[in-house]
Amino acid sequence: VKLADVQFSDRERVVIARLSGEIDLSNAESIENAIAEATPNHALALILDVSALDYLDSAGIHLIYKLREKLRARGQALRLVIPADSPANDALRLAGVSRNIDTADSLDAALAEFSDEQRAAEVPDPGSV
Amino acid sequence: VTLENPHHHAPRAGQTVLTPVATALAPAHQVEAFARLSDPALSELGLEEFLDELLLRVREALTVDTVAILLHDPGSHELVARAAKGIEEEVERGVRIPVGQGFAGRIAAERVAVFVADVDHADILNPILREKGIQSLLGVPLVVEGALIGVLHVGSLVPRDFGQRDLAVLQVAAARAAPGIERARLFSELEREHRVAMVLQRSLLPKRLIDVIGVTTAARYLPASDEVGGDWYDVFELARGRLGVAIGDVVGHGVRAAALMGQLRTALHAYAMEDYGPARTLELVDRFVQAMPDYAMATAAYAVLEPDTGEVQIASAGHLPPVVVSRDGGRVVDVTPSAPLGAFSYGRVREHQLTLAPGETLVFYTDGLVERPGTPLNESIEELLAVLKGATSVDELCRRAVDTMVPAERLRDDVAIVAIQNAEIDDVLDLRLPADPKILAEIRLALRRWLRHQGASDSQTMEITLAVSEACTNAIEHAYSPAPAEFTLHASADAGGVTFIVADVGRWRVPRGTDRGRGLTIIRAAMDDVHVNSSETGTEIVMHRKLTS
Repeated sequence: VKLADVQFSDRERVVIARLSGEIDLSNAESIENAIAEATPNHALALILDVSALDYLDSAGIHLIYKLREKLRARGQALRLVIPADSPANDALRLAGVSRNIDTADSLDAALAEFSDEQRAAEVPDPGSV
Repeated sequence: VTLENPHHHAPRAGQTVLTPVATALAPAHQVEAFARLSDPALSELGLEEFLDELLLRVREALTVDTVAILLHDPGSHELVARAAKGIEEEVERGVRIPVGQGFAGRIAAERVAVFVADVDHADILNPILREKGIQSLLGVPLVVEGALIGVLHVGSLVPRDFGQRDLAVLQVAAARAAPGIERARLFSELEREHRVAMVLQRSLLPKRLIDVIGVTTAARYLPASDEVGGDWYDVFELARGRLGVAIGDVVGHGVRAAALMGQLRTALHAYAMEDYGPARTLELVDRFVQAMPDYAMATAAYAVLEPDTGEVQIASAGHLPPVVVSRDGGRVVDVTPSAPLGAFSYGRVREHQLTLAPGETLVFYTDGLVERPGTPLNESIEELLAVLKGATSVDELCRRAVDTMVPAERLRDDVAIVAIQNAEIDDVLDLRLPADPKILAEIRLALRRWLRHQGASDSQTMEITLAVSEACTNAIEHAYSPAPAEFTLHASADAGGVTFIVADVGRWRVPRGTDRGRGLTIIRAAMDDVHVNSSETGTEIVMHRKLTS
């Protein structure tokens, strides 16, 4: 059964990955790989939208951290779209890591952030991520 | 011996048309030959054995060297060698003679008996006859109900003057052979189609059904006696632990219906996976049917079960109403059926809701199970309810339905039945589980169901499910490897709240790095009381959570 799904889209040089379904130990690694694979080197940033996730646990949080490391090594930023009342946010809260990850309340908010950045710098500066 | 050459038969080199005349008295050996050729035992043989035996008897009765049967292929309008004695090469080389040409072709075209006294000086198309050194030939047409099906001919390696007595014997043989061949040929064609359709049908139905904790399913499919139909069923998992159950019945029979069934089952499954509800899923399958180049029509019903609440969304496109049965009763589900799939353009399918209480089973079936001549449909559905009531498992339920409702003798229509039960919820959960990450989603499903039953709120259910899932993740990661390992999950409730014990058989490993320790952080944050007990034999995590509202 398809426990989760990822839908990719691009906005300028920002890759958007929308997750839905459930992420646990059974699928976290393959989802992480799929997202890393779908983010090209020339991308400025990745927006990971977990609003539609029904379930996320430590395996999923681990995925977010590892993905952030991978992107950071390529000079790319990661923004998590996570509404306050979402199951994913509950997991982050219980794990006590809510403040460790850059988040946005909505996809529009995250996009706005990057379009400002994009206008400011033609060449992304890895140091600013 | 009377040899004739009537005007309406155009003369051909070396061929003589033989017209039978009544013979006064048949010699004793001929009577015996007639008896041997009319032996009823012949009709019990399959086509191959029948032809083999018949040709042997003809050869014996007429003391000829060769005997052959060529069958008419209506597609190419040719005669194809089908069986032979003494000239087996005819069959082996697949000799084909156009109707109207040569010796056998003329017999077929004019439906007359033809005698060839001297093969070397006659209009003969088939080279094998000459190669074998056949000198004289006699052949008759094989006709069934006015239709030509082939030619039977005999040959002699020494010049022979075939006469009326020989012709009479050969005609008895032909009269015997023709219907037998026709029947056997039709039978084997039907049988072949039946076999193909059976294999097709089987391969298109799900190989195994789903059994998740708390929900059990079972199904049966029985092909009709004569041919398969287009019945199908399906059970599949959807996102968020929901289960989809579908049934359908394609109008028509045979390979085409079975193939169409496969397409519709796949289409329904694919739309269902995209999370369209039952009504929209059926509407999309309807559009799919409408877009097919050939006329197609089917009835179908599709339901989505939410296992933690027992809520069912259901829709029907012209399909028979499902029934819900429990230990002490049953009811026909009130689903107003929309039009069948393919019936008319842009049809709207309506969705209905029902709740499956713990212990209740939703049953879909096709008309083959309940349609009986002379019995109103609602009566036989009531009968089905009475039969199914009190069945303890879905397997027993399906068995009862098939044993009682399906006639033991000839089955006129195919039958499909699929049952899905929302199992009773025990006060105590006691699960022994494989240490496989794939089991986690199912565990969460079972937990949500159980917690709801214990009166936990939505947010409590979310937090507890997360914590217990983390504990199970730990057990799976720490399980002995690479051998298949297991762990246990025990859940119980008391006045104060709920307690869970997750035990693995591996040694406790110190969590590696902050990422790996996060699971335990979540467990401690979500539960009121947490103990980790490690010993030589394994590790257990005991968690308690208060359930005050």
